[in-house]
Amino acid sequence: MPPNVENDDKETDPVKRRYLLLTMISFFILSMALAGYSKAEAADQENCLMCHKYPDLGRIGADGHVKNYYINEHIFLNSLHGQVACRRCHTYIKKFPHDPVTQKVNCGNVCHIKPPFAEENFSHRKIIDVFESSIHTIKPGDSALMKKSDPDCKYCHLNPLYQRVETINYGKTLDRCLNCHQRKGVTQAYHHIMHRLRRKTSRSSQEIVALCGGCHGNVPLMKKLGLPERALTAVNTYEESIHGKMVTLGSEKAADCISCHASSLLHDIYKPGNPKSSVNEKNLQTTCKNCHKKINKYFVKIAVHPSLEDPHNPFLFVLNNFVLRLILYGTVFGLMGLLFMETYRRKKDGANMKLKSGTSWRKKKK
Amino acid sequence: MTASIDETTRRGPMTETLPEDYFTYVAGVGNIPRDIYKYVKSNPYGDLPRYSAHIVLQHILIFTTFITLASTGIPLHYANLFWAPYVISIFGGIDNAQLIHRSAAFVMIGACVYHVLTIVGSTVYRIIKKKFDIRRTQVPLPKDLFDLIHDVKYFLGIEPFRPKMEKFMYKQKLHYLAILWGSFVLIFAGTALLYPEKIVLLWPFDPSFIQDLARIMHADEAILALIVIAFWHLSNVHIVPGRYPAQWTVFTGRITREHQIEEHFLEYLRNLEEIPEEREYMRLLLSELGYAEKKGGLE
Repeated sequence: MPPNVENDDKETDPVKRRYLLLTMISFFILSMALAGYSKAEAADQENCLMCHKYPDLGRIGADGHVKNYYINEHIFLNSLHGQVACRRCHTYIKKFPHDPVTQKVNCGNVCHIKPPFAEENFSHRKIIDVFESSIHTIKPGDSALMKKSDPDCKYCHLNPLYQRVETINYGKTLDRCLNCHQRKGVTQAYHHIMHRLRRKTSRSSQEIVALCGGCHGNVPLMKKLGLPERALTAVNTYEESIHGKMVTLGSEKAADCISCHASSLLHDIYKPGNPKSSVNEKNLQTTCKNCHKKINKYFVKIAVHPSLEDPHNPFLFVLNNFVLRLILYGTVFGLMGLLFMETYRRKKDGANMKLKSGTSWRKKKK
Repeated sequence: MTASIDETTRRGPMTETLPEDYFTYVAGVGNIPRDIYKYVKSNPYGDLPRYSAHIVLQHILIFTTFITLASTGIPLHYANLFWAPYVISIFGGIDNAQLIHRSAAFVMIGACVYHVLTIVGSTVYRIIKKKFDIRRTQVPLPKDLFDLIHDVKYFLGIEPFRPKMEKFMYKQKLHYLAILWGSFVLIFAGTALLYPEKIVLLWPFDPSFIQDLARIMHADEAILALIVIAFWHLSNVHIVPGRYPAQWTVFTGRITREHQIEEHFLEYLRNLEEIPEEREYMRLLLSELGYAEKKGGLE
């Protein structure tokens, strides 16, 4: 009898099945007890996790996509919004169990959270005002496709985990804060500041380029949205540039998209023609000076998105694609040809590979 | 021991008759046959002087910095290829690699300056001592072109022997010129890339053009240099018959006797004038082979 048939018999054995059920139930109770032990005091005041803690909680939407409503409490509590109760953002939820959600979260809500040392309750309203004046906001004259394509807050912003600055002794420094300050607010503030100290943005430069390139690298979509010609190749030309190559290899110094296209407000991205834009001709010197300290008015004319394509740069196009290639192949194949000819004849003439006992030449029989 | 070279040279149909300059007469030594290099004894670590300690040191500086520069620069040029991040991680990230690349570049420029000082100094010294001979330098001369043609004929089996060449044959002169041009391009393009804000002041009319040109030339010249050195130079000095598995000239500054006679025959004649021991060695060898008495023979 083959072993797999034997296994089938075991599974149908009612006694074995009862044991299995018992084990499962006891495991379930144990895990419930463990789950209740975690620190749920801050975010989940209203016990939303009673349902949302189940990893398979979800549904298949009208469009056929599976939607998952699972919240991993441990991850959420260590994220930027870990201290914010669910209904502070999901304000439209009024009863329990709640109706199907149709509204989106409004990031401009005033939270009932007062940051340490602040006078008023916290809100993202200020940065949303900046964003709403930028190119990425929905404007009245936009086409339906454009309205659909413009990113909202959540397109770029997830709810990231705090990241540590490796060069700082994290725990010890926090301990010293706690000598005087209360743990709750200051721990959060400390995490927040340390997280922000890493870089200008909480995403790495590589992630920023991938994020922007997600839409701007999609040339057919950008064409449909009516973007100008130079914007269509922006991602490719950036990746050809020294900034792009450095960022591809993980540089934290080289400029990513945001470094040039926004000021320290990060959301004030405009068309280059707009005088408010950081890449407007008038503002270029200020923008470049963020990294290149000693610059002048000619420096800013260097192409940050260099293109060696034919119509822009015929001389460099021909040089790069034909002249230099011809020189390269000509030199390499010419020299290697010479080398092979020489080796062939010298071997035929009696040369050995190794210089052994004083000579590398074969003696002819006398 | 009277092994006759006449017999051994008559291998192919082309060598039925010996060429006119088969024997070279050297006073006090004898008639040296052109293919004597097949019969001499050589020390693999080198018998005859070729490079001074300065040149050896410069070569070590250049090749160590070259390897560093190439391994930090080439992955940047091919940043999109899968292996690039792995190579860069050896140097502790691209920002470190950038620093290493620039430091190595300055060391290499220093080595270039050192080399120019050595060359100028020794040339001036030789001119003052009236020992200067342009044929013993890297300066390309019409003879090198004829040597190349002659050598290609030898490779094709038309000529029975290799040309009699100077201390630096056409290959070395070609390579030296390539290094001169390559260093010139790489140093200038690299400077343009390192100090873009200064270079635009020199050519303020089209800053973009200069940067793009520098970018193309720096990368292209580097790749050309890397390929030529990895495939041609290394094969030539370490892999071809007689040099495998390694030629020690790079560290000892000395060349083996058989190599010197084969590829740098005219320099070997000067060695015979300058080094009494070598003259003695060759005289004994010729008398062993039975050529010592043929004074004035076929010179």
